[in-house]
Amino acid sequence: MFNGNISSTEISLNRRGLLIWTLVIIVVILVYLGPFAFLEDAGLVEMIEGYPEAFTAGLGMTPEMFVDVNLYHGGLVLLYVVLLASIYSMMLAGGMVTRDVELGAVEFLYTRPVPRSVILVSKASAFLVLLTLLWIAAYLASTVVGSFWIAPAVFDIYAQFSAHLMGYLACLAAGGIAFALAPLFDRTQASTTLAIGFGFGFFLLNSLAAMYEQLHFLQYLSIYYYADLSGAVAGEMFLTGLVVLPALFFGGVAAGAVLIKKKDFTV
Amino acid sequence: MYAVETEQLTKYYGQNRGIADLSMSVLDGEVFGLIGPNGAGKTTTIRLLLGLIKPSAGFVRIFGRELPAAGGKFYRRVGYLPAEVSYYPEMTGRDLIEYSAGFYSIGSFQWVEELVDRLQFDPDKKVRAYSHGNLKKLGIIQALMHKPLLLIMDEPGSGLEPLVRQELFKILEELNQRGATIFFSTHVLKEVERICSRVAMVKDGRLLHIGPVDELPGRNIRVVIFKVSGSRPSSAALEKMGEARELPSRPGYYRGLSHLPVNELVSYLSRFNLDYLRITDPSLEEVLFHLYEFSPGGGGTPHV
Repeated sequence: MFNGNISSTEISLNRRGLLIWTLVIIVVILVYLGPFAFLEDAGLVEMIEGYPEAFTAGLGMTPEMFVDVNLYHGGLVLLYVVLLASIYSMMLAGGMVTRDVELGAVEFLYTRPVPRSVILVSKASAFLVLLTLLWIAAYLASTVVGSFWIAPAVFDIYAQFSAHLMGYLACLAAGGIAFALAPLFDRTQASTTLAIGFGFGFFLLNSLAAMYEQLHFLQYLSIYYYADLSGAVAGEMFLTGLVVLPALFFGGVAAGAVLIKKKDFTV
Repeated sequence: MYAVETEQLTKYYGQNRGIADLSMSVLDGEVFGLIGPNGAGKTTTIRLLLGLIKPSAGFVRIFGRELPAAGGKFYRRVGYLPAEVSYYPEMTGRDLIEYSAGFYSIGSFQWVEELVDRLQFDPDKKVRAYSHGNLKKLGIIQALMHKPLLLIMDEPGSGLEPLVRQELFKILEELNQRGATIFFSTHVLKEVERICSRVAMVKDGRLLHIGPVDELPGRNIRVVIFKVSGSRPSSAALEKMGEARELPSRPGYYRGLSHLPVNELVSYLSRFNLDYLRITDPSLEEVLFHLYEFSPGGGGTPHV
């Protein structure tokens, strides 16, 4: 069910993209977490409290976040990291499938003695490795900045690990959705557009659900609900999320494998 | 035993026909040519044989097993060269060869190195830096590296320099002598005549003819271009020369498609005071033109 030759090649082909996105995410962590010491004052908390609650909730903010570095990083900084990383996940997963069609490399790859479903699973394995590396780098960056610079005494690396794990699983789920949809497209541009649309779409659904009571149900359609970053950093991992997010990944890969078996490669 | 069999094979792309009712069989160890003009359905047929696309009707059998039930493993015995070779631009030729070799149990790289050498291929450049011809060489190497029992090639000679093309056909002949079945498409009659034992001719997605190369319709047609000194040739003479017509770009020069055996043709032409004479083989389009009486693409009943 897996071909190491394909996986290692996919990792090699996508290493530059991984490097760029890892740097972007590290910069985001630095830029957001770095100035925490300057944000931590009563004036800012009062200002946040002065904003309409729906507005701050929509942006994923609560006044408590600005006095607690763990909540600030796990609940707010990681929210934006997940936004970026989920877009990258979908671009990566979708691109792994559509690039072959766009380049015409399908005539090479899909005439090797490997079933199509195994090709997709091997690509998904490469995706898993790349995404894991990205999140390890993100966790290390957070740990270094939080524990050694911003708040050495209070930065809880265990609580942050839980939040990073949920963020990672959310991106895994996004990748699964991309693997399920990518066989329907022949252009990398289409899968990139889809990735950006879904990435912001999940964020928007989460914001709308937080802003309006009547739209609360929309949260169930967003990966952020299942990731529950604030809960994870507070030591309450969302068990449903721990099941749903990996299931979305594996289900997406399985659906993609079925679709790719039926696909006509007209190039 | 048949290496390839198709029965009523049909493929539609939406409303557009790719091929229709294509039934043919290729014997194990045979060199079989699929010939037809651009857009005839050759590439569609090849993609159906490889399972890259699914038939709208009919079926394909490779070594007796119906696709797609044969699954991915059947590709172990198959080598494929597409008409347009495309790979990952960031890889080098060597990376690609090693990647491709990773799918097969290739004990020694001696044969691969021999192919690299014989095709004069430089494997150390990035794929994006290769010319069309070099990409084709890379495609040939990856198609032949595992010494497949069935070799399916789409326009193998296109884009190659004449000497490399000659070498390729020599390699194909060698592989065939060792027992490989070769199925290839082309629109160049000479390539078919050189190595094929049998040929199928397709046009507009339909099979026009299938049989030994010697029985290929229109094989005895000759293109005659001539210039008679002095007066215009008589209508009877022009008719004898395959309804020869004056070339618009070269006044005084006439061009026709003659059915006469070469001896008879030369003997007839010797009656005239010729300033210029050229007798060549017809192109595929000209053969098809002959088969259909009127211009290609116009439909009609073939003379086969």
